[in-house]
Amino acid sequence: MDTRKMFTNLLAAEWLKISRRPMALLLLGIFLFLTFLQQTLWFLVVALQEGTFSGGQVTFNLLSPAAIEQIKRQLSLPGVFGAMLSAINGTGGILAIILTAGIFGSDFNWGTLRILLTRAPHRGAYLLAKLVALQLALLVATVITLVIGAMLALLFGTLLGLPQQIGIIDLLLLPIGILRALIVMLPYTLIAGASAIVGRSVIAGVGGGLIFLAFDVSAGSLNTIGAVDPTIRALVNLLLQPNINRLVVENSRMFGLDQSVLTAALDLSLLPPQWQALIVIAVYSAIFGYSAYRTLNRQDIGGAN
Amino acid sequence: MNAIETIDLTKRYGKRLAVDHLNLTVSKGEVFGFLGPNGAGKTTTIAMLLGLVRPTKGQAIVLGHDVQREPALALRRVGAMIEAPAFYPYLSGADNLRVLARAGGIPAARVKEVLETVELNDRARDKVATYSQGMKQRLAIAAALLPDPELIMLDEPTNGLDPAGTVEIRNLIRSLAAGGRTILLCSHLLHEVEQLCNRVAILKEGKLIAAGEVATLLRRGQGVRLRVQGNPEPAVHLLRTLPWVSGVTVQEEAIIIDAPVERAAEINALLIRADIVVAEIGANHSSLEEFFLTVTKTE
Repeated sequence: MDTRKMFTNLLAAEWLKISRRPMALLLLGIFLFLTFLQQTLWFLVVALQEGTFSGGQVTFNLLSPAAIEQIKRQLSLPGVFGAMLSAINGTGGILAIILTAGIFGSDFNWGTLRILLTRAPHRGAYLLAKLVALQLALLVATVITLVIGAMLALLFGTLLGLPQQIGIIDLLLLPIGILRALIVMLPYTLIAGASAIVGRSVIAGVGGGLIFLAFDVSAGSLNTIGAVDPTIRALVNLLLQPNINRLVVENSRMFGLDQSVLTAALDLSLLPPQWQALIVIAVYSAIFGYSAYRTLNRQDIGGAN
Repeated sequence: MNAIETIDLTKRYGKRLAVDHLNLTVSKGEVFGFLGPNGAGKTTTIAMLLGLVRPTKGQAIVLGHDVQREPALALRRVGAMIEAPAFYPYLSGADNLRVLARAGGIPAARVKEVLETVELNDRARDKVATYSQGMKQRLAIAAALLPDPELIMLDEPTNGLDPAGTVEIRNLIRSLAAGGRTILLCSHLLHEVEQLCNRVAILKEGKLIAAGEVATLLRRGQGVRLRVQGNPEPAVHLLRTLPWVSGVTVQEEAIIIDAPVERAAEINALLIRADIVVAEIGANHSSLEEFFLTVTKTE
């Protein structure tokens, strides 16, 4: 059996495992619930500020007019797509790390890796199939989130009397937005997968992924010192976080949002260009992916942990 | 052609030599017992035969293919059950097999066939997490049968089973062997191995210490057993002086002599000449278990 055929077979096997996995459904459920809470909060903020519940009689001055305008866009079509994609790359990213660690680590925890590798012994194909199946699962979750987010936006937007306009261009832009969101999650899922393989467990994967995320977000705050000197800015922009931010910002912009209105610390002028962001993310992903492959390829596979 | 051949197969973990220059052949169609005390290197050897553990040195050839160089070809028609059964607990028994069938490019129809073989059809849709140890063991055998294997490696297939479950698995192995498949069986139940296997190899501290046909090995372990009238001490004393007797023990009034069975008549004549009345003399049949204990203790 050639490697390509083995990959296709393994992908089918991985998809069966992932699609039946309660953990995947649970994490999606948690994320959709958080999305619902977020949109409900936005709705309440706008409703209270504009006195929607009292017919304009009682109003609260909670946020600046620019911020309220931004939230209104997030509760309208097509702005909600940008907001949802941003949430997917925020909270969703953390859940994706947990899912990845579960998918990569449980084969070690349960001892099922040795059974699978006996049937399909090409470890590179096994790893790639797992990664592709994970990306497919994230794609499905992203589409579900966008659909539910749009439905909630229609509900809340109608209650607030917001205009809902969606054109064919917005729909055509959606695949680009989804692709960007998946690219943003790729290095984090790969570091979680690599950690699970190195530590041969789910816990190691979760730990590795979240520790890296925490470190990366902290390092991203160095962005502010980038304003001091162009050389420092160039160096800071080689970190993952500013490049991730660039893609997230681009996704928001594409659907008419301006993230800097709600995130004061975000100075868009300091972020690297999109082409650099793609290259840096690709390099990080390649390093993490290769580490995972190299480690797995050299490992002796024993029984369950 | 041999189903399995190892050439100087060696695995070292740090300072510990888990498998030490193992040279082993298992012919096609043979039921081969692979024995040894805990930690002897049996599971490591099987893991090397399955490409899961990389040898430090040497070669493992399975069904004519080098496992390291051509793992897909070597393992295409190999089924294995290594140590404890390993499954996805959130999937049903049938779905677990479907995952393995998909991974190995095996037609989905095989899932139903192997579930029938191990008589698990009734519980095939239940989650594996709800299975008893015996059912998991049977499912693991079903997984090993998925590729319609020419060679099956079973590592402690009756571990953790009650007597009824053990008998079930033994019968299953018998029927598989009757179908002409090659079976490599690791088991601590030596009575079972003696019943099922044509040949055995015994490993101790990673080294092969005995290998051959079960009958031949048992003959090697045979001696002469006799009873004398009266005090056995003079007879024991006399027998110990013979150069071709390697040991004499007294067990429940019987004298057990470590000497070829062919010398029984000579022993009898010798004792008669010494005025010792021999009441009973014959071959001392040893079991595989006794042979195993002897070689793993002394060698």
